[in-house]
Parts: sequence; C-alpha cells; structure tokens
Amino acid sequence: MADVKKHDTPMVDELKSGPWPSFVDDIEQRGFNGKQACLDLLGQLELSYKHKETHWKHGGIVGVFGYGGGVIGRYSDVPEEFPAIAHFHTIRVNQPASKFYSTAFLRKLCEIWDYRGSGMTNFHGSTGDMVLLGTSTDQLEPVFFDLTHQMGADLGGSGSNLRTPSCCVGKARCEWSCIDTQDICYNLTMTFQDELHRPAFPYKFKFKVSGCPNDCVAAIARCDCAIIGTWRDEIRIDQEAVKAYMGGELKPNAGAHSDRDWGAFDIQKEVIDLCPSQCMMMDGNELKINNRECVRCMHCINVMPEALRPGLDTGATILVGAKAPILEGAQLATVALPFIKMDKDNDYEEIKDFVDKVWDWWMEEGKNRERFGELIQRQSMQEFLRRTELKPIPQMVKEPRSNPYVFWSAEEVEGGWKRDVKTFRARHAA
Amino acid sequence: MGVNMEELKEKVLAFATKKAAHKSKMYIKDLYKADPDASPRQIKKAANELVKEQKLEYFSSGSTVMYGVPGFGKGIEEAFEE
Repeated sequence: MADVKKHDTPMVDELKSGPWPSFVDDIEQRGFNGKQACLDLLGQLELSYKHKETHWKHGGIVGVFGYGGGVIGRYSDVPEEFPAIAHFHTIRVNQPASKFYSTAFLRKLCEIWDYRGSGMTNFHGSTGDMVLLGTSTDQLEPVFFDLTHQMGADLGGSGSNLRTPSCCVGKARCEWSCIDTQDICYNLTMTFQDELHRPAFPYKFKFKVSGCPNDCVAAIARCDCAIIGTWRDEIRIDQEAVKAYMGGELKPNAGAHSDRDWGAFDIQKEVIDLCPSQCMMMDGNELKINNRECVRCMHCINVMPEALRPGLDTGATILVGAKAPILEGAQLATVALPFIKMDKDNDYEEIKDFVDKVWDWWMEEGKNRERFGELIQRQSMQEFLRRTELKPIPQMVKEPRSNPYVFWSAEEVEGGWKRDVKTFRARHAA
Repeated sequence: MGVNMEELKEKVLAFATKKAAHKSKMYIKDLYKADPDASPRQIKKAANELVKEQKLEYFSSGSTVMYGVPGFGKGIEEAFEE
C-alpha cells in the first residue's frame, strides 16, 4: 500500500453498508492506491457530517490564461487537517458531441488526471462536460496544455458564459432523430467559442439539442435554448406492421417490457386511448392519424416503432427559457419557433440570427444572475416577441384568456388610446 | 456603430479602476456604464481584451464571473488564503 493516511470516518463508512454501490468505496480505493487527496476528501466529508456544515470555499479562479471559464475554484477551509485538498479545483472539459469516446482517449485522459489531479472524475456533469475533480492551482495550466496539445480537447463553460452545448446520440444511433444533433452541437460550439470561454452574459446560458420530441437530453426542462427535432408532414404508417403488433407478432416498445406477462397487446387501450390530442382511430383494420392534431408526444411511435415513424419533412422546434430551480422555481421552456429547417448548408443561420437577438436583449436588460426565462417572465412574453421580431402565433396561448400576453399597442389601433369618453358613454352606460 | 476599441478599453479601465476603490469586484453589467453609447457586446469585448492584457482580472463567485482590477481588493487566490 502506498504511503497514505486514512482518517477516522465512521459516519462516512456507514454509507458503504447500504444495498447500492457507494461512492465512498470508489474514492477510498483510489486513496489506498496512493492518492492522499481522496482520503483527505473523505476525512473532510466526515468533518462536515459532524459539524453539519460545509468546509469548502468556492470561487476565485475562473480558468487558465485567456479563459474566463472552465475551472471552478475550490478550497478547503481546514487545510491544516487535510493538506492534500487545500486546493481542490474542478476542471470542466468539453465533451465530444453525444459523448462518444475511444478507449484510447479515455485512457489518456485518466493518465493525465492521475498524474496532475486527484484521479477522480465525474462522467458527466449535468451540463454534459467531463468533470475532472480536484487539483491545485499550479497544475491548471499544465493540464490545459496536455488537454489541448495531446488530446485535442478544450475546456467547457462555467460562470456567466455560454455553457458547453450538449446533444443526444442523434442520427449516430437513433432512427427517430429528425436533425443531425451532433453537427448542430459542434457547429454551435465552434461558432460561439468567444461566448463559451469568456464571460458575456448576466448569468449562464445553455443550448441543448434533441433529435426528436422524446427529448433524451431533457432540453425542454433544462436549457435556455432548446433545439428539438420534429417533422411537419405526416407520421409514416406501415399498416402491415400495425397488424403485426395487434396480432402479437411484433412486441410493443420493441420488447422493452417483455420481462413480464402484460397480456395481449391492446392497441385501443395502450395507444389510441392514450393519445393526448385523441388524433388516432382504427378504421376497420387500418390505423388513421389526424396529423394536424398531433402534438408530438411520441407515445404511439415509441410503442410501435416498426409501424410508425416520424415524417420526412424534418426540422426543429426552438424553445426558450427553461431552467432548474435555483433562484425562482423550475420552469419549462416556451415555444418560440414552432418549426424551422435546420439547414446545414446555410450554416444554421436561422437559429443563429434568432440567438443573436435573444442575447442582445438579455445582455441589455437582464439583471445580474437572471436567467433568460426569468427575463421573459419579468418583462413579458410580448416584449420577448418584439425584441426577437417574432410574430405571435395561436400556439403560444395556452387557451383563450388564460395567458393573454399579446396586447394591442397604441400604434396598432386606429386613433390610438385617445377617445372621447362622453361620446363613448352616450353609447354605453357606465 | 463605429466605436474605437482602444478608446473604449481606456474608458472601461478608467471606470473600473475608479469603481474598484470602493467596490473591488464588479459585474459586466456595471461596466456598461463606462460608455453608455457602446453596446453590451463591445463592452464585453473590451473588458475581455483588458483581462488578456492583465489590466483587469476575472473573479468567479462559483457560478457567476465578475471583473476586478489587479491590486484592488483581495486577489484571486488571496481571497481564499487564511
């Protein structure tokens, strides 16, 4: 065993006894193999359990030279007791689109981190970055040099920057993907390098790209600008395959629930009755879909993947303003552009033009630490539409009179707001 | 909008240095006041250039990045030393 010292950690050790794999085991194992930082980390955790308060201080350092993000400074406030974690900075590394790696890449990354850091990683942080946990200030520049020169990798976003864009597996492994999520993610990452590496905004800003409305990266709930693949023609139906599902030759959900006997497949009960907009029906032996009413819930396609497929005229829906509950409550995104073609040949100019308008407004009017969705809430949807030069559409209104955020302005009304009250009252009683 | 970047950098640095005397860390939004005629993007660009020239420095709160003037207030690492 290497020359390391384990602290007395009875409360932390208890976490190893449960039925689930414990992070304590993993960290301890790495510690016994020569990383005192890992054992100091558990020691400080024990102290935090005892004192019921954190012993971390965070902030300060933002990155390497020329970068305003990618490193999150972290310091122990009890460095005498735990000297190996006196500095314990986190480095965010921009993950490849869809998180595909070669084993050689991962091996090399681990070698670098074993040598220059604690050896601990988090694959992946919630934004998607590879997270390298725990190193000292003097190691930041060498790690960055190795990442860029040996691995062709770059730091991710942190602080008031554009955060690392992320995407689902897209067309690489998914037949439902309506857009090339990886290309869009890479293109946005490269286009907005300045925003990603240097602070530009009142607070964080996130892009996430999902290939279809199943939204496997949960873009609709987590990011300021969600790009979700969709189609505007009709769901493709293979009537023979529909019959095969009904007859039991094909397993629903591609057999995902076949570990138990759920009884015979009932298309009425399991698909048609569950359609949120009730746009499906059986006409004799044929499945009919009223595509105008489809809200892209994907349930029917998920249940009968061989029978139903997304349409062929594909593009994306752009939604804005989602966020997790840090300051105000959690918020889901709002549809801004119901459908745009994601045109690779045009370098995705349409979405980039839209994003520029979003950023212009937010940089000008956003308060410090105010997410974009909160700015919309504070200044109104109407102002959002005005600043982004979008036309209001009926889909933006949940139902008549429930959220009437589209108002007439004085210029749009003949005579403006001025009127003769006496003349009006002559016609209408008070 | 034709803004001279060198002039803007001077204005931003002068504004930040003056402000740093009583508030050592400032948000990018505070720096907008250095030149109300310049756009937020130009100010951001000027401020980030100044950081590159080591006339300004970043300071992270952990989730938000602020700007400081070297020599004013506690430095990046110093703030965390005992």
